[in-house]
Amino acid sequence: MNETSAPIIEGLFGIPWLSVNLANVLMIIVTFIVVLVLSILGARNLQMKPTGVQVVMEMILDFVKGIINDTMDWKTGRLFLPLAITLFLFILVGNTLGVITTIIVNDQVWWTSPTADPVITLTLSTTIILLSHYYGLKLRGTKHYFKSYITPVWYLFPIKLVEEFANTLTLGLRLFGNIFAGGVLLTLLVQLTKSGILGFIGGAVPFIVWQGFSIFIGAIQAFIFTMLSMVYISHKVSDH
Amino acid sequence: MSLGALAAAIAVGLGALGAGVGNGLIVSKTVEGVARQPELRGQLQTIMFIGIGLVEAIPIIGVVIALMVMGR
Repeated sequence: MNETSAPIIEGLFGIPWLSVNLANVLMIIVTFIVVLVLSILGARNLQMKPTGVQVVMEMILDFVKGIINDTMDWKTGRLFLPLAITLFLFILVGNTLGVITTIIVNDQVWWTSPTADPVITLTLSTTIILLSHYYGLKLRGTKHYFKSYITPVWYLFPIKLVEEFANTLTLGLRLFGNIFAGGVLLTLLVQLTKSGILGFIGGAVPFIVWQGFSIFIGAIQAFIFTMLSMVYISHKVSDH
Repeated sequence: MSLGALAAAIAVGLGALGAGVGNGLIVSKTVEGVARQPELRGQLQTIMFIGIGLVEAIPIIGVVIALMVMGR
């Protein structure tokens, strides 16, 4: 496969270890604009009998509220509803944007899913785990937080430590792996359909099927990320 | 034959084996549960998707590693 590179600026602002992938910056801005426009369209002219985009937004809200309710009681859970909706919508839109088109300019990939970069997904998962620790400390106090490491048996303490790191890694890498593998296969299928008439006949239908499957996988991964985030937060914030 | 291609093939193959067996167990239990109590179909389906997402995490990471070492 012909090598495509990413538009990375090395040494931003003269700091040698700080590098930025401009494609990620572009895609995060695009995702944010899409989510913003969707939310504004869904929330203006609120009516008691909803029509149009408001129906979709209410469905998404009810869905995310169900996710939070499954893991903790609503009294503590209502604090996390904006976080969960933001996470869900960002990951859903981010996953879908890379499936529809991919734009390559001068051998550099500019338009792809922002979640196809491990840096972004690991940032998201680290933020969630740090937030869970912060809310555990804030809502339950320091004594309960430190005691939770040695209950029910004290010699499980190293395992509980490793569990935090394992949760962070798998939460981020799961999302990255699913979206990245889907994107690579999409690129391979495009090259198949480009290589002659036999390749086109053989590759057209799998290409469309794979695009549909990628959208499905994107939605499932957004759901799983949000739900696992709420599960990890509920472990720290409320009793199981 | 480059060792990178061999490594990629082994990684994806074993990962696919694990994912296939794991997903098969999950979905078969879900079908059995729905057959016993059809009114719980929605909840069981949700739990099935969560289980599939969790089980497929490590094989997918194996696929990513395979794509990384494929060229060497």
